[in-house]
Amino acid sequence: MSTIATERRVAARAVEVSKTYGKGDAKVLALDAVTVDFNAGEFTAIMGPSGSGKSTLLHCLAGLDRPDSGEIRLGGVDITTLNDRQLTLLRRDKLGFIFQAFNLLPTLTAAENITLPVRIAGRKPDAYWMDTIIDAVGLRPRLSHRPSELSGGQQQRVAAARALASRPEIVFADEPTGALDSHSSAELLGFLHHAVGQFGQTVVMVTHDPVAASYADRVVFLSDGHIVDEMREPTADAVFDYMKHLGA
Amino acid sequence: MLTATIKGMLAHKLRLVLTSVSIALGVAFLAGTLMLTDSMNRAFDDVFAKANSGSDVSVRGKAAFADPQAEPKPIPASVLQTVRSVDGVAAAEGQVGGYAMLVGPDGTPIQPAGGAPTMGGSLAADKDLRGEVRINTGRAPAKSDEVVIDTSSAKNRNIPLGSRIKILFRGPAEQFTVVGTVQFADENDLGGTTMALFEPATAQRVLGSPGLYDSIIVKAARGVSNDQLAKRVGAALPNGVEAVTSQALAEEQSNQFKQNVDILKTALLVFAGIALFVGSFIIWNTFSMQVAQRTRELALLRAIGATRRQVMRTILLEALVQGAGASALGLFLGLGMARGLSWTMARFGFDLPTAAPRLQGTTVLAALLVGTLVTVVAAIAPSRRATRVLPVEALRDSTPGAERFSKRRLAIGLAVAAVSVGALVAGLGGAARELILVGIVGSVLGVTTLAPLFAGPLASLLGQPLRSRGVPGELARQNAMRNPKRTASTAMALVIGLALVSSVTVLAASIKATVHDVIGKEATAELYVKPESSQAAGISPEAARSVRDVDGVAVVSEAGFGRAKFTGQLTRFFSVDPGTLDQVLDIGMEAGKPRDLTDEGVLVSKAKADAHQWKVGDTVPAEFANTGKKDLRIDGIFSHKGYLSADYLISLGAHAREDARHLDATVLVKTTAGADVDAVQKRVSTALNAYPGTKVVNQKQMEKDAGKDVDKLLQLIIVMLLLAVVIALLGIVNTLALSMFERTRELGLLRAVGMTRGQVRAMVRWESVVISAIGASLGAVLGIGLGVGFVKALADQGFNSLAVPGEQLLLYVALAAVAGVFAAIGPGRRAAKVDVLRAVVTE
Repeated sequence: MSTIATERRVAARAVEVSKTYGKGDAKVLALDAVTVDFNAGEFTAIMGPSGSGKSTLLHCLAGLDRPDSGEIRLGGVDITTLNDRQLTLLRRDKLGFIFQAFNLLPTLTAAENITLPVRIAGRKPDAYWMDTIIDAVGLRPRLSHRPSELSGGQQQRVAAARALASRPEIVFADEPTGALDSHSSAELLGFLHHAVGQFGQTVVMVTHDPVAASYADRVVFLSDGHIVDEMREPTADAVFDYMKHLGA
Repeated sequence: MLTATIKGMLAHKLRLVLTSVSIALGVAFLAGTLMLTDSMNRAFDDVFAKANSGSDVSVRGKAAFADPQAEPKPIPASVLQTVRSVDGVAAAEGQVGGYAMLVGPDGTPIQPAGGAPTMGGSLAADKDLRGEVRINTGRAPAKSDEVVIDTSSAKNRNIPLGSRIKILFRGPAEQFTVVGTVQFADENDLGGTTMALFEPATAQRVLGSPGLYDSIIVKAARGVSNDQLAKRVGAALPNGVEAVTSQALAEEQSNQFKQNVDILKTALLVFAGIALFVGSFIIWNTFSMQVAQRTRELALLRAIGATRRQVMRTILLEALVQGAGASALGLFLGLGMARGLSWTMARFGFDLPTAAPRLQGTTVLAALLVGTLVTVVAAIAPSRRATRVLPVEALRDSTPGAERFSKRRLAIGLAVAAVSVGALVAGLGGAARELILVGIVGSVLGVTTLAPLFAGPLASLLGQPLRSRGVPGELARQNAMRNPKRTASTAMALVIGLALVSSVTVLAASIKATVHDVIGKEATAELYVKPESSQAAGISPEAARSVRDVDGVAVVSEAGFGRAKFTGQLTRFFSVDPGTLDQVLDIGMEAGKPRDLTDEGVLVSKAKADAHQWKVGDTVPAEFANTGKKDLRIDGIFSHKGYLSADYLISLGAHAREDARHLDATVLVKTTAGADVDAVQKRVSTALNAYPGTKVVNQKQMEKDAGKDVDKLLQLIIVMLLLAVVIALLGIVNTLALSMFERTRELGLLRAVGMTRGQVRAMVRWESVVISAIGASLGAVLGIGLGVGFVKALADQGFNSLAVPGEQLLLYVALAAVAGVFAAIGPGRRAAKVDVLRAVVTE
């Protein structure tokens, strides 16, 4: 199992990453010298009980938060050494994001939201690639609608299409199905799975839902700021059992 | 409840500061105006109390009505004997006063600052009658060529005792030896007035006429009160002469100046009102946004049982606290504003008497009350909206969305606009003048109501160029469009400022165009003799006399200026020379000829003739201050008022009968046919060397001078309106800052997906520019409409040409857009600093 992993290229790597929040008695150690690799072309889920540090890890990996110590390597670059502008351009050009909610600008149409990062960079969207992902998320009839005219599931699929629009090296998803019903969740996760399998994209997703995790190729378990285990080819039941074991 | 309100306000410091300042500035303008004018009134009271302190009672010619601009009617010198013989009179002397301009040793006249008069008078021989007028250095004048002058003039112009100086009078100028200087109590001059004092007989000769006095000042004997003395003297006086106590006289004289202060006060209060009105938009807008942002909090309050009334009270209480605080701040700033106003007026050549700003209890009350009231009233509509928040909204997660433009609003807006345009048209069409004002205020309200309707499309249109600026530009345009009501109300503050600035600009351009049309077409004289200073009282008729003999001058036509009651109303008139007028000026006679005008007649404007259905031969009931009631025969009807802008023209002879000492307002010179105008102008100029303070200009220079005066006034008005524009820009800063707060998550998202801080700042900047441009362009359009209205309304004042200075107006709009860039600096920086994580992560 691990032999396959080593053959793949590493898309993102955390080395001895630590992060604390607060001061004095309120001090919380969110990440405690976490070292973990995320392979290119893989769909990885990060799971753990609430307060385990899974979101903090994702934010540090994505350059949205800075660790107190350790390295975050994306494509060979230690992003903890980058300034705000360099980080911003990195997010714009190399990364994709899907948040739990509020992923879209209310003033823009679905199509405009999808091409937003590309256009912020001042580039023209690649028409063929756009067609491909729009068809993959099944939103062609809703492209001219504004977010307020879309359902929650449709909004998250627009966000997913947006995350893929610039053909990022890695897509980070932070509880993308947290606010969705099971049907919409399945559609979104199916799309992410498809993006990894068919388009060779890399996805790292934080979730607390074992069903969501089951769409991933690999699940990494976090508890109290430590990586405690990982699972390949997970099933919902196996993940669920493991989480119970972690006491979540 | 109050503590919670104050705590809530302190939590949003920027909002608190911006909204408070926008009200405080208006209040400061109000308070500053009141302080300034109060101190001016006090200064005049002091001056005249001092000036009259030497006498207990004054005897003077009785005027038909009080006109501060009229010269007093002289009384025969024989009355002095009558007065002296009255029981209780300790001393009495005749006094003469009049126009006397000192000419410095360098040959330039001493024109006092601030439009203060240049006065000549008689110095009482009896020291007791001089009152506060004290010989400072030297001695009193004793001979016919001796003079004492005010200490300020002597000091400022370096005139030592024993100097020979020239003094200009209405009659021939004369040389005098300065034998002394005077002080007024401890002051070196009397409120800036230059003073030349002569012994009484000389004063009669140079200022009035021998055998006549302007007044007789009387000192009471011991034990006789002023009132008693006035009564006793009055009883002994012949008809047409009266006795008044010096207190009453001082008050009367002071009140005459106070009328001018009142005019200034009204004008400044209008500007203060505009600033407050604009400020109220900021308050309204802020409270509206706040209610929208606090929907969940308000809904929660309602859900746990707060009544609608309580919700409304919470918000109004906040407005009350804020209004009171801002007003107090404004009152404090008013002290500086009073000095600032005085300084600004002086910059534009309107010097005001200098005195420390005076803070009266009524000013404190007015400032606090008005500021607080404006704030609370502006918060009423938003607080009513707050009561409509439903308890269930506490459970919904929603960012404040755009409010729909209601049909009711459209109907009301259209109705108001239609009524005000109707009123404007009716008013301009000659119906009541008040309708024009109704039309102006109504159209502003109409535009305010309808503005949200234009705001979206306008933002879209004005934002077009931004589409080429990439995503930040595109988003800026859409942000400006997303909540038209907010964009509109933010821009409205600027609309009002720009509309007023634009309308006075149109008015000024039209006045200049009128002058252009008048000089050379109506006024056919080649040369014009005029005072060098626009604040001078006029030109001595002696100057006109000297021009007559110049080689190449064919006709010299003088015109005087005065006021009298026509059909019961105090109105200005010009006095003209019937024999020469038509050779220098075409006044557009509809009936009769200028030379038909007799000393018993009057020429009336077509507007007045039409209004009263007068025709030649009818009589106009007139009343003059000195000579009383007189029916004047209409000798002609004229239609051109461009040069002599009055409805009534009388003859120079008739004017002299009323006031023998009146000065010329303007002198028109026609050169002989074929003469070289430039050469004649040079010769006239040489002839006028004997009359410092006068100059001769040709048609081009005349037009240019008039244009300069108009521009100066325009600039002054624009400076006064600038405060309102600044408040409007603060409003944009405030709206943007609140919008950024509202859009924290959006900003975080944009930053997360790769928008740089610079791009975020650009986005905010362009949104600010779009809002400013909307305000400025709507304002300019409205201003053109109002300006055209003003010009039409003034058509019967002789303003017949309409000019819309497109380039200047475009410049205003461009400047406003640039100001938008500056307004965006703070909010833009704030937006760029948004913490990405906290913005996008759902807790």
